Amino acid sequence: MELLKNIMITAFIAVFAENTIFSRALGTSTLIIVARNRKNLAGFGFSVTYITAVISVLTYFADKALNANETGYIYTPLVYIAILGAVYVITLLCLWRFAPVIFGRMKKYIHISAFNCAVLGSMFLISKYCVTLADYFIHGLGIGLGFVLAVYLTAIVYDRIYSEKAPYAFRGYPLMLIYIGILSMAFWGLSGHTLNY
Amino acid sequence: MTGDNSCKSIIKNALLNKNPIFVSGMVIAPVIVLANNLNDAITLVTAFSLLTFFTLLVSSFIPKSIVYTIRIIIYTLIGALVYVPLAILLRYLMPEGVEALGIFFPLFITSSFIISRSESIFFRESKGKMLLDIVFCIIGYDAAVLLFAVIREILATGTAGGNIIGMPIVFSAFEKPFGGFILLGFIAALFRSILLLIKKIRNTNT
Repeated sequence: MELLKNIMITAFIAVFAENTIFSRALGTSTLIIVARNRKNLAGFGFSVTYITAVISVLTYFADKALNANETGYIYTPLVYIAILGAVYVITLLCLWRFAPVIFGRMKKYIHISAFNCAVLGSMFLISKYCVTLADYFIHGLGIGLGFVLAVYLTAIVYDRIYSEKAPYAFRGYPLMLIYIGILSMAFWGLSGHTLNY
Repeated sequence: MTGDNSCKSIIKNALLNKNPIFVSGMVIAPVIVLANNLNDAITLVTAFSLLTFFTLLVSSFIPKSIVYTIRIIIYTLIGALVYVPLAILLRYLMPEGVEALGIFFPLFITSSFIISRSESIFFRESKGKMLLDIVFCIIGYDAAVLLFAVIREILATGTAGGNIIGMPIVFSAFEKPFGGFILLGFIAALFRSILLLIKKIRNTNT
């Protein structure tokens, strides 16, 4: 029961209270690109969640080795990129060999779902906040799902934001930032902050 | 003549028409979270400029014959390798500033700037134009970040570069990430309006 409670809390924090986009703006540039095409949303969401979940487990073992070394923090990005690259290549090879149809669909956006600030940032965040392997995995999975939630919330208004009805100065990118800002404010409130009067 | 024109358009695009921050929305995460004041913004642009310039410079030697799947890993690995001496150097020169950058410093390695610029220009342009593009894109980014940070600092804390300027009212919410998103949205809209106005004036004159 205690374990289930901890899992729920960790997942809630990762998806809502510390959503990578709305609390730290990680992967905002990627979000703006991906939100353009709603057709790829499910595939993109699946690949981001899969990558963050898998790399979170590998990050746990990498951190054990890096923390044992005094100057390990300098090489942390190099090790994380190597992990990310290995997961990316192995995933592509497995898909190409065993699921060529899915490979054909996913090859267009798997690189953008692997090499972005949200994914690399998730490795640094879980490394900072998590202790056990289960924590790493749940947090990694939650970060992926939180990113997907952010992309979905942005994609549903994409047409309106880029509509000709919007004033030219605000149309598209500026309005997108203001919209994400308003969502970010709502998520910020969700984590229990109060205003100072 | 054509060369001059295209060099001019590279500079114009990098600084104005396709400004990485105000128009294209590249590498905005550290700006939203960290560019709260001029001092933090200076550390941010120093780290970004050095890491991006050297990573893109080394990446330009990667041949196109290597498949994209591998190329993208090589770009990020180069970034991670450039990060090592740079992190040591900046920790020595500005330890507090680098500490304040936190996880955003290593995240420049996978920035959309490095991934997109390395693919979009290296295989189409000459080395000279490529260098010009990189330098002016970085200058465009840095100028936008510094401008944004100054406006944000004035609005959020009533100071400029740490000096009190006596603002009658301050909006401390602009220091938060959501405030950063909203303020950047408004500045991007203002920037677009100014570009449009300049274009209109030019058209009227001609």
